[in-house]
Amino acid sequence: MMQYPQISIPPRSQHLWRYTPWKRIHPTNVTEMPASDPIKFSSGQDSKMDDSDEIARSFIHSISKSCKKIILKDETLELDLRCSGHICSGELNIESSGKSTLIIRLSGDAGWTGLRIHGAVEGQLSVATINDLSKDGHFLRCEDWDVGRDSELEFATLSAGGFLNKSDIRVDLTNKGAQIRAGIASNGYASRHDDHHIEIRHSIGHTDSSLVMHASCGDSSHSVGTGLLTICEGADGSDAGQVFRNLLLSEKSRAEAIPELEVLADDVKAAHGAASAPIDADQIHYLSSRGLSPDESSALIVEGFLMDAFRDIKSEEVVSVMRTRLLVHLECLMNG
Amino acid sequence: MLSIENLHVSVDDTEILRGVSLRINLGEVHAVMGRNGSGKSTLANVIMGHPAYEITSGDIKFKGTPLKEMEVFERARAGMFLSFQYPSSIPGVQVGTFLRKSVSAVRGDEAPTAREFRKELKSHMDALEMDKSFLARYVNDGFSGGEKKRLEILQMLLLNPTLALLDETDSGLDIDALRVVAEGINSITPRAGCLLITHYQRLLDHVKPDYVHVMIDGKIVKTGGADLAVKLEAQGYDWIEA
Repeated sequence: MMQYPQISIPPRSQHLWRYTPWKRIHPTNVTEMPASDPIKFSSGQDSKMDDSDEIARSFIHSISKSCKKIILKDETLELDLRCSGHICSGELNIESSGKSTLIIRLSGDAGWTGLRIHGAVEGQLSVATINDLSKDGHFLRCEDWDVGRDSELEFATLSAGGFLNKSDIRVDLTNKGAQIRAGIASNGYASRHDDHHIEIRHSIGHTDSSLVMHASCGDSSHSVGTGLLTICEGADGSDAGQVFRNLLLSEKSRAEAIPELEVLADDVKAAHGAASAPIDADQIHYLSSRGLSPDESSALIVEGFLMDAFRDIKSEEVVSVMRTRLLVHLECLMNG
Repeated sequence: MLSIENLHVSVDDTEILRGVSLRINLGEVHAVMGRNGSGKSTLANVIMGHPAYEITSGDIKFKGTPLKEMEVFERARAGMFLSFQYPSSIPGVQVGTFLRKSVSAVRGDEAPTAREFRKELKSHMDALEMDKSFLARYVNDGFSGGEKKRLEILQMLLLNPTLALLDETDSGLDIDALRVVAEGINSITPRAGCLLITHYQRLLDHVKPDYVHVMIDGKIVKTGGADLAVKLEAQGYDWIEA
């Protein structure tokens, strides 16, 4: 039986729903279960995923007609997700072992897209997710990751498409030696609203995590970055850090950066930080002194700022993909 | 090529330069020495057009054009180059990308093709004893003092200016790095004018100045030849003020 209709609407007082409430990201009326076209996955086997008691996951699960499973073993896979129709959704189950790379690119002109991912990592997995959806669309993304013993997950997100976006990404480190490195770059332009909520839970000791989110905020865009880092009781030897930085490019843009830290163990390293600032005038002067006009200087600084979100990502392949896609995106924006 | 007439400059209503006059011709090396806070770096920065400095009176002309009519990037494209004392870092921007964009902007129609650029870059990097891994790093991000100065000189060689302003380029360099950087400076001086700001004679052992100027309290108070720097190294500045 579907759980979604039984789940009560979460209040805005909850950290997760403060800036993009469920009513706003739901594609129709919250009581409705609208018909949905399936996301077209370029590869994967038909699969099934369990329902969830979390409202967004349950909603995507309930309306989705498409669920694919990807099994990776010492390989690189480029996975295209085509999203079209008024409402479009799908689920993706990822199992990875060995040293693998997954490049996920979302594109298409769907009015609303819902994507739910569940991933299990043994070994090393590097994931690049590129949101290239049409600039009018709404996008809801929910991800849950389990990282195995002595395994590493690194994921990089380039959020460049969509008008109203909400991502809810959760990683549970339940095995000794598990590591997660996350880098998120969000480019705000026009009236784009981009909300990322990332929860990393150190359930056991000797686990490492790092999260870097960089958001450039132009025009009247609004960026939200909220993080919840939990180090559970007894998870000694954990090493965790999260940083949110916003580059404010216009007076009308807004940015929220709220890292939260809950440390219940004694012997841990935990750090968090948030900063919002305009472009550094000294950087502009330096680049201008090298012949770049003020506009060219600003563009290069923004490009660098966004790429710098991926500084902890070790996979050169992922970083290279991100650089290429970012340059294409920025060039398209510049050329209207 | 560069003429400065009775230049007065302020920052936040505090006068830093109090009537500086100087002429630099193509091929000449001018060294400016002086105590900390005497206005040396201000002089270099105001020539390059740093927005924090206000010219309250006087004039600077470059190749006959008043600099107040030129934006910073226009000065660079006209052939001016400043090697910064503290170059800014630009995280996320790779050195290779930055150099290519900068060379294209400054050299315009005469910019090299991608292949020519790579060749030119390799040649200069070899001369400066820089490893090619440098190109993938982010501009000045996490660089040591010496690495920053080498990158400044690499930029100078690639941009091929007609006026090079070098603000304490020798600071933070070990003996070997100083020699390499000095060779870089010497390689452009036959075709460029050079204003060299330094505290120490040691750079001038490698780069022979045509003129040495002493700046005290925002004014050039004494000008001489290379031997003046040797005397300053030995006796300090007190004898000039006396």
